[in-house]
Order: sequence, then structure tokens, then C-alpha cells
Amino acid sequence: MTADPLISIRHVTKRFAGVTALADVSLDVQPGELHAICGENGAGKSTLMKILSGVITDFEGTYLLRGGEVRFRGTRDAEQAGVSIIHQELNLVEQLSAAGNVFLGREMRTRWGLIDQRAMDRAAGELFDQLECRISPRQSVRSLRIGDQQLIEIAKALSLRAEILIMDEPTSALTQSEVERLFRVIDRLRGQGVTILYISHKMDEVFRLADRITVLRDARWVDTVRRDQADPRRITHLMVGREIEETDLSGPRAAGDEILRVEHLSLPWPGHARQWRLQDVNFSLHQGEILGIAGLMGAGRTELLESLFGASTERPLGKISLGGRQVNFRHPAEAKAAGVGLVTEDRKRLGLFTHLSVGENITLCTLDQSCSAGLIRRRHEDAQAQGIVERLNVKTAGIEAPIMSLSGGNQQKVVIGRWLLTRPGVLLLDDPTRGIDVGAKAELYRLMDRLCREGLGIIVTSSELPELLTLCDRILVLCEGRQTGHFLRAEATEQRIMEAATARTVAG
Amino acid sequence: MTPDAAKGTRRPWATTESGLALAIVVVLVITALVDSNHNYWYGPKDSAVDILRQTVMLGIFALGSAVVIIAGGIDLSTGSMIAFGGTICATVMLVADPEGMKTGQVGVGVMLLAITATLAVGFLVGSLHAWLITVVGLPAFVATLATLVGLRSLGRAVVENVTAEILGGRSSQIQIFDPQFRYLATSVWIPTLLFVLLALGLGILLKHTVIGRHLYALGGNEQAARLSGIRTDRLKWLAYCTSAVCASIAGILFIGDQSVADPQTLGRGYELNAIAAAVVGGCSLQGGVGTVSGTILGCLFLRSVIDGTAKVIKTGADVTEGLIVGIVVVMAVAFSQWRAGGQRGKQFFSGPLGSLAIVALGLLAGTLVTLMAEKKAGMAAGGAAWVLLIGAKLWEGRSLADSGRTTAPVDSNTA
Repeated sequence: MTADPLISIRHVTKRFAGVTALADVSLDVQPGELHAICGENGAGKSTLMKILSGVITDFEGTYLLRGGEVRFRGTRDAEQAGVSIIHQELNLVEQLSAAGNVFLGREMRTRWGLIDQRAMDRAAGELFDQLECRISPRQSVRSLRIGDQQLIEIAKALSLRAEILIMDEPTSALTQSEVERLFRVIDRLRGQGVTILYISHKMDEVFRLADRITVLRDARWVDTVRRDQADPRRITHLMVGREIEETDLSGPRAAGDEILRVEHLSLPWPGHARQWRLQDVNFSLHQGEILGIAGLMGAGRTELLESLFGASTERPLGKISLGGRQVNFRHPAEAKAAGVGLVTEDRKRLGLFTHLSVGENITLCTLDQSCSAGLIRRRHEDAQAQGIVERLNVKTAGIEAPIMSLSGGNQQKVVIGRWLLTRPGVLLLDDPTRGIDVGAKAELYRLMDRLCREGLGIIVTSSELPELLTLCDRILVLCEGRQTGHFLRAEATEQRIMEAATARTVAG
Repeated sequence: MTPDAAKGTRRPWATTESGLALAIVVVLVITALVDSNHNYWYGPKDSAVDILRQTVMLGIFALGSAVVIIAGGIDLSTGSMIAFGGTICATVMLVADPEGMKTGQVGVGVMLLAITATLAVGFLVGSLHAWLITVVGLPAFVATLATLVGLRSLGRAVVENVTAEILGGRSSQIQIFDPQFRYLATSVWIPTLLFVLLALGLGILLKHTVIGRHLYALGGNEQAARLSGIRTDRLKWLAYCTSAVCASIAGILFIGDQSVADPQTLGRGYELNAIAAAVVGGCSLQGGVGTVSGTILGCLFLRSVIDGTAKVIKTGADVTEGLIVGIVVVMAVAFSQWRAGGQRGKQFFSGPLGSLAIVALGLLAGTLVTLMAEKKAGMAAGGAAWVLLIGAKLWEGRSLADSGRTTAPVDSNTA
């Protein structure tokens, strides 16, 4: 490399209570380049970006910006030095207007010290125009689509005259057209000389955008390569540290009797312009079959599973039959008793009990079975938990270990195990591999396949199409609450599913 | 895979309980040494019985508060429920046996009726809380705040009406002379036995039953609990009823103890004592964490400190109670946060806010010492506190300047 690096970090290490999130990482970023950071979940990408952007202020090692050592005391320092970050989970105040968010904390003022709304609206409007973002600066952020919200964050970074922009998996919630628009914005920013650090694990994006690619694995720097000297296969190999074996789910599964039938299912959405979270969804599920639900964020995947499980806030309309009998669950407890289980999307928020041990997390739904005379028999409970740990190969120091000491994949197995103990006939899995690394994913796929062969009916949603194509016998596609596609495994392709998932009448 | 690693933090010497037990011993020893009348040396039995009685009375309703806190809620109405429970008990006795109440000879049947009615009212109030929270959808804070102000007022209105009707003269309190009824509280062993039974019952419920485990799950993560098929609404019902019924039991004992049911003053502010005891005893206000044993030790610690201070300053325990509860809660929670590691390396006195805190803390120290000793010592103590704290502030600033940082606070909101 010829030019002096813009960012240069040397031997950076960050430890969180007992866990090393980043170990002795050194890295240079050249001015004006788009530098992609790749790695599996838990590889240390986000920690590194948080250090660069001043979110994490306490770390070992040195951080040189334009040749001089810096030590930010917060994101404000970093922003003043020209480093801005666009988080994956956007950081906007929903109640404020678009312009209000752009200038939050740096509000323009009139001569009298009052807020100068007009000047801010004008400035924000100009920024939005640059970003092809056709929204009014006065519009409240709550009413905007995620793609537009993201552009507001970018506008904020631009208004700070950011020279370095860090983007953390920016496309994970965007539609195809929004992704295209984002890429055009990125091109334009690069034309203006902005240096971009781009975190992603999607190889097509990385190879389309990046000049150089850095791979992190297990908190360590593995390699930095130029795009023209690498190919996706090699990067994936570096990320995983081994060849990913194609998950072999050979042999077609034999579907048994119909176990679940859904007819004209609709879920009202009071007070919203769309009126329906789900509208006229029809499908059936057989024993020993995996049905996939595809769709973009906000398409209604989670809502569909929740309404099958009696967990939706509004009561669903239409007809749900379980094993030939019509059901109408008003509480998850009823669904549980009828043999339906739901493994939720957001493991930490909706699935785990962080104060309880691994064993207690496993047995929570089925403690009744371990009771005699009203008291829990510890030995029986522990045996149940131990059984699941062995059956699902949960890697844990023991059933007494704190649940948060487990990796994401093993936490997910604990939640699945909790439901297996209830001996369900239908298992609903909402994006079960989110935040789980590649190796553990393959293990979960094999587990689902095995459970299915044992006669369970499984419905699984995923934001990753290849996953659904690997796993499912049939795939149902949702778009804004409507059913826009239904494919058998043989006829499904990413292209066809994507078309159905974005089949909206008005694009983005 | 060592058993130690598997057990996580469950080392016996590092629990809240053992820390509290140690703290209680320290408080008792200090009081025994500092108290110039040497009450603990000359009358150990009286002192012990007094602390026991106070702890038991606090414990009976603090356990109820702890159950609600473990379930992730909060019950602010405890003090008013004590007053209302006591009022109902006295009112029922007055209505059912006006002559007996005047002469101090109430029939046993009437007493049982009054006690049953009081417990039933507690159950109803708890159910009302649960309804407001789970069905109407009010935050627990609002629902129980409403009954905190409402029940006390209602109790007073009831007493005024009933006394006017039955005794012929409007009064804001009902006198209770019956020695049998009063024995319920003055015997000490009856409240103690009740407390032990309650503690055992709740201890078994929380630790060894499905309901208990589900209460912890509800407090730790309500959404996840509901999505695991747990009937969270029923659990909340149980928790708020436990709290209200415990408070009613305390109300019955308090009117026996004080020989009067005065809804205006009875149990005023006790909800905070109960919450404080639970929190000091290791319950987390975020829910999902806490034990019966910790709460009991929290009560004992709180009462020891209150008793010790009263002995040292030589005033009634009730005078300084609020001050002590406030200080103890702040210190206990700050200490547990510090132990969890969140506060290390933090600057406590930086910026104008830190300077004002120094002013306030110095004044507090001066006032406290003035109360305990005399004016000169108080001024000296206040001055010394200021010097120390300003020294701490300068030291914090200097040590940071050495490492190349300045004193602006770290912006942690963006994390």
C-alpha cells in the first residue's frame, strides 16, 4: 500500500467479563477505500466497529487516526473526528421528525436561542435529496420504512461531515429496490471521498462493493485480501476456518397425515394504514414435513407463527385445524397443551430466562411432569434436562451452568429442547439460526431433519433463502401480509422466491 | 467442566445472605460499643426481644412485597393496606360487638369473624390490583399508587362513619381494649410463629414448586414466560394477593400492638420499608431475583440499624427510621452494583453535579453528627466531610489527567 493509512489500529484487545471479544487485532484502512469486514457471528466484527466509532472506550492497544493516536471518550468525540457509525439496529428517536433526528443533539438555533426548525428542515431536505430519499423532513420517523430510516442515519452522518462511515450489516432489513438505492448512495459517497467500513457476511454484496476484505475469526484477525485476488469461496473458508460441508439432508422425507390446516387466516392491524398484518393465508402441514415461510422483514412471518400459537395481540380470523379439530387458542398455554411449540425469533428477549440455569431453562415448560405432591422433584427435573443436553448435544459445563455462558447455537438448542419435552406435534421455529455461526447452523439443520423424520411437523421462517431451500419440503412466500407464492422444493429457486417476496404493487 | 465453573456464582461465602449476616453482626457490635447506656450489655434479652418483634412485624409484610418484586412487579400500597386491614378488623369487631369493644371483652367468634373479613378484604384488594394491572393494563406503579392514597382515605371515612353511627361520637380512630385480641400481637410468640410459618410457606413455594419457578421466570422475562405457555396473569394475581394478604395480617397485629386502629397514621410509609428490606436482602427491582432468606436478613439488618441508631442518638426509633431506610437502600444497591463491576473506575464527583453532591453530603454528615453529639462536633464533621470529598474530587481529576484523559463524562447512551 502506498498511501498512509487513514485508520490504523495496532494490537487491539478487548475483554468482556471472562470473554475475549477481540484479541490482538491490527488493521489498516486506506483513505477512500471501501473496506469490508467479514466474519461469523461472534468473530469480533461489531466489537471492532464499536471501538473505532467510540461506542467502546475502554480497550487495550493503540488506535491511530490520520497518523495520530486517538482515544475517544464517546461517540461524540468520534463524530467530531469524522467517524460515524450506522448501527444494524437503528438508533433513531421514533417520536421526532426526520429532520429532528438528523440534528438531534446539535439543533440549529435562532438568534434568540430557540430551535430553528425551518433551517433544520431545509438542511435535512437537501441531504435527503442527495440520498434519493423522497421523504419530508417533517415526517415522523415512526411512519417511515426501515430503508428510509436508515437513510436518515446516513444523512445524519453526512451532516456531521463524516469522512469515515461504518455500516453494520446495512442490508439485513431492506427490500431489493432499497438495497439498489443504498448501493447507489454508497457509490456516490465514495465519489465524494468518504471511506467506508462495511460489515457483512453476504458474499455477493462484499464482492460487489469492496476494495479490500478483512476476515476476522474467533476474535482474531485472519487475513486482509484485495477483492480482485479473492473469491467468495476463499473468504468463506477463511471465515469458517474449514470447508463448509454441504449439509446433506439426503433422501426425501415421507410426509404423513395432515396435522395442521390453515384456511383464510387473517390478522387485523387496528390503527394502521394496511389494516391487516395477515390477509387470507391458506396452507396445510403434514407430519414429517418442513414448511418454510419466506418473506422480507415486516412481511408477517412472525405474526403468522404467533397467530398459530395463540400469542398474537389481536385474535386471528379464519379457520385453524389441528389434527382435524378446529382450534382457537387464546393463550400460548392452550397451544402448548394441544401440542404446538414456538421457538421465538429473538432468543434473548423472548426465549431465554437469563437468571435461570441451563437446566431450569430446559424444564420450564414441563415442570409439572417432575412434580409429586406439589413439590418439584429435583432429581427427575435434572434427569429430564440432562436427557435433552445429551440428545441435542448441547455444549455446556453442566445443567447448573448459567444460560448466558452458552454460545448462541447452544442457547437455541436449549429453547428447542424445552419444547421437545412437551412432545409437540407441530413445532414453529421463527428464524432459528439468526445470530448463530455456520457450524452450529448445519447442526441445527440436521436436528430439524431428524425431528421431522421422527414424525414432527415443522414450520420454519428464515431471512436467508438458501437456508429455506436446503431445509424445506415446501416454501410459502409472504409479502406485506399476503400470501404471494407457494413452491415445492423442486420448483423453488432464490430468484422465484425473491420475486414473490417483493411482489408489492408499489415498489419501495 | 469443573463443578466450580458449573455452579457459577453460587459460592456460599459470596452470597448476599452471608454478606448481610456479617453486616448485621458488625452493626450489633458497633451499637454495643458506641451506645453510652450500654443497653446491649445490661439488657441483652430485652434488646433482642425488641429487635425480634420489630423484625417480625416488618418481615410479615416485607415477604409479601418480596414476592411481588421477584415476579417483576411493585406494590406501593402495602402501608395503606396495613392501615386499611387494621381498620376493617376493628370496624367489624365494633359493628358486631359494640358492647364488647367498649368493655374490652370481645367474643372469640367476633374476633375470628373480624380476622376472616380482614383477610378477605386483603384478598380482594390484591385481586383488584391484579385486575387493574393485567386486564385494564395499568402499570403496577400506577395501580398500587392509586390504592396507596385511596385505601388510607377510605379507611378514615369508614372509621368516622362507623364511630358516629355506633358510638354516637365521630372519631378518626377506634380504640381496642380487649386483652385477648391484643395478646395476638403483644405475646411476641404469636407474630413470630406466624412469621416463621409464612416464611416457610413462601420459601417452599418459591424454591420447590412449579408456581415458584414460574414466578421467577415471569419476573426475569415476562414475554418469554408468556410465550412458554405460562399463565402470567394468574401468577400476577397470586403475587399481588400474597402481598395484600400479608399486609392485612400485619394490620391486624399492628392494631393489637397499638391498641388503636388509626387509619391516618398506621403503617404510614411502611411500603418503602418493605421494599427496602427486600432490596437490601438481594431482590432485584428488575424482577426475577431474590430469596425469602435474603429478605428476612434484609429485615433484620434494617431493624438492627434503626435500633442501633436510636440507641446511640437516644431518640425514638421512629424519628430516624426514614433517614436510615433511605441511606441503607442507597448504600446497599450502590454496593451491589459496584460488586457487579459496573462502577469500577467511575468518577463520582466530576463536574458541577459532583460539586453539588459534595455540598449536600457534607451538610448531611454535619447534621447527622450534630444530632448524635453536639453542634461543634457536627460542624467539624461537616467540614471534614467536605475536605475529604473535595480531596476525592481532585484525586479523581488528577489520576485521569495522568492517563491523558480529561474529566468529561463518557457518553454511554449510544452503546
